[in-house]
Amino acid sequence: MKTNVLIAEDEPLMRERLLSMLQTCWPQAHVVAVAENGNDAWDSFLEHEPQVAFLDIRMPGMSGLEVAERIGNRAHVVFVTAYDQYAVSAFEAGAVDYLLKPVETSRLEKAIVRLQDKLSGPPAALQSILSQLKAAFPMPCAEKLTWIKATVGKQIKLIDVSAVLYFQSDTKYTRVVLPDYEAFIRTPIKDLLGGLDQSQFWQIHRSTVVNVKAIAAAQRIDAERMEVVVKDHPTRLPVSRAFTHLFRE
Amino acid sequence: MLKQLIRWNREWEDEILAVLADPALARKVAPGYRRHAAQRLAKLSTIERRQLREFSVAYRGSKGALAMVKLILLFSLMGLALHLASPAKFGMIESLVLSNLLGLSTAFGLTSVWFNYRRLPRPGVRSFLIITGLASLGALFGAGLVAVVHGKPLVDMMEEVGRTAALAGFGAGIVYTTIHNIVAGWRNREYELLTTQLQLQTQQERQAREMTESRLRMLQAQIEPHFLFNTLGAVQQLAQTECPRAADLTANLITFLRASLGEMRNQQVTLASEFQLVKAYLQVMKTRLASRLEFTLTLPEDLANVRVPGMLLLTLVENSIKHGIEPSLRGGCIDVRVTHRDASVRIDVCDDGVGMSAAPAAGVGLANVRERLRLVYAGLAAYTVTALEPHGVIATLIIPLSSDGETT
Repeated sequence: MKTNVLIAEDEPLMRERLLSMLQTCWPQAHVVAVAENGNDAWDSFLEHEPQVAFLDIRMPGMSGLEVAERIGNRAHVVFVTAYDQYAVSAFEAGAVDYLLKPVETSRLEKAIVRLQDKLSGPPAALQSILSQLKAAFPMPCAEKLTWIKATVGKQIKLIDVSAVLYFQSDTKYTRVVLPDYEAFIRTPIKDLLGGLDQSQFWQIHRSTVVNVKAIAAAQRIDAERMEVVVKDHPTRLPVSRAFTHLFRE
Repeated sequence: MLKQLIRWNREWEDEILAVLADPALARKVAPGYRRHAAQRLAKLSTIERRQLREFSVAYRGSKGALAMVKLILLFSLMGLALHLASPAKFGMIESLVLSNLLGLSTAFGLTSVWFNYRRLPRPGVRSFLIITGLASLGALFGAGLVAVVHGKPLVDMMEEVGRTAALAGFGAGIVYTTIHNIVAGWRNREYELLTTQLQLQTQQERQAREMTESRLRMLQAQIEPHFLFNTLGAVQQLAQTECPRAADLTANLITFLRASLGEMRNQQVTLASEFQLVKAYLQVMKTRLASRLEFTLTLPEDLANVRVPGMLLLTLVENSIKHGIEPSLRGGCIDVRVTHRDASVRIDVCDDGVGMSAAPAAGVGLANVRERLRLVYAGLAAYTVTALEPHGVIATLIIPLSSDGETT
């Protein structure tokens, strides 16, 4: 049986290298997505739901650590990093595997053997090691958005982020929905996520982020599907399987 | 009994040496006269303690006794000579006792001056008057005592020997004051010399340490393991797939490493050679980041030979990559430009990366730039970092140009 794998690495040559090494060392692996930054990595994860994710730690957009945090225990994560003295000690203490760049074939083979052993069971929870790693990698924190500039007709509107009911992908644009009007912005959902406060805005679908204050209720449709009822708005937003845990009691 | 005495003496000596080596130990000495003595020792300055310790170690135990025996022998010989010179005036025993008494007390006096020079009054009229006064009084008192013992009237005796006694006292005073002054003066000068020497030593040590530290900081700031390992990974991949590009990348990496590891980092280099280094670095990064990095370098020919501190411009460009381009989703463009401005050279490093808000507070590289500018130009150079709209950063360096067209 094939194992679905995601690779996230920002430098093209390193990306190519990891990809070709994986194909040689692990023929059963099926690389479903190759992402070049953290935002794409998370988006690809939602799209393909791979079992294994190789995440570079330093990437533009979300860092590998942030992506891993969002993935939670839904995939087996292997971190990839160039020399980082402090991180290595954190890794050695934890359950998560890591590869040092440039990756050596023998080391990758070892990681694959470990992964194959772990694949039968559920992925490890990463909370504690992630908080440790975050302390070891002082990374710039994305500034939280307070205002969004959007074109509505001939006007450029300044929208207070906290007034937004939800954001939804719409082909090339992102729809910004407010109680009395809506606007379109060019920034895709995946690149908006880093600027939104995760406790205030919940992603409930690959293409939808909703303001928690605007959620009236979450409604079960059947065993698998669920949707969010938006306050003072006729819309119902589908919740994808990856996010139903948000509404579990 | 004798054994006990020797043991007691040895113990005390050990204690004194320990206190001289570490004055903090004085507090641990059992209360009593020994604690009192130890505390006095602890109050001495470092140099005094060192001198006293050296002396105590040199004349410890049997060695001290031997030196004492030698002194007694010497003084006895002198007493014998005195007796033989005028047997009528000085008896054998009398002269032996007298010479030993005088000699030993002088020796002890000198030793105490030798080690107590810091606390004795400075050589001067006052100390001279005190010593001669005391000596003369002593002589007169002695004469008075003799008069009382022999039953002579005091006034007669004073008339007979008073003038001699006063003169003898005066003479002895002069001799002692001179010796005291010479010894104390010399020792004090020695002390001051040692103090300045010690101060100089600590200052030199501190300077050396500071220099090493700043050099180390510089090293840490320049070649990051991250850069090295990522670049080597890229070389590895290209070597397997596109050999000519691997060769180019290696050549650029060599240029970069040679300059960063060599002595050039601390020296003045021409803008032309610094530009070569920056170009090698940017080409390495361009190979790694591909379409995410564009760059332009502009150096007017007439400024090519201007000398600047090595690695300074590179640090600015590295900052742009690290804080502007690498964290940016779409990447960006770096523009390095040198222009002539009155009596100075202006260097701009401009990028349209993520800007300053996302960058962590002033890094090691930035502090390094400021420190080096301060060291080389002492406030005559300027360094500013400004945010650009809609995003990006411009770092500007203004360096004074000396009259011959080169900065110093």
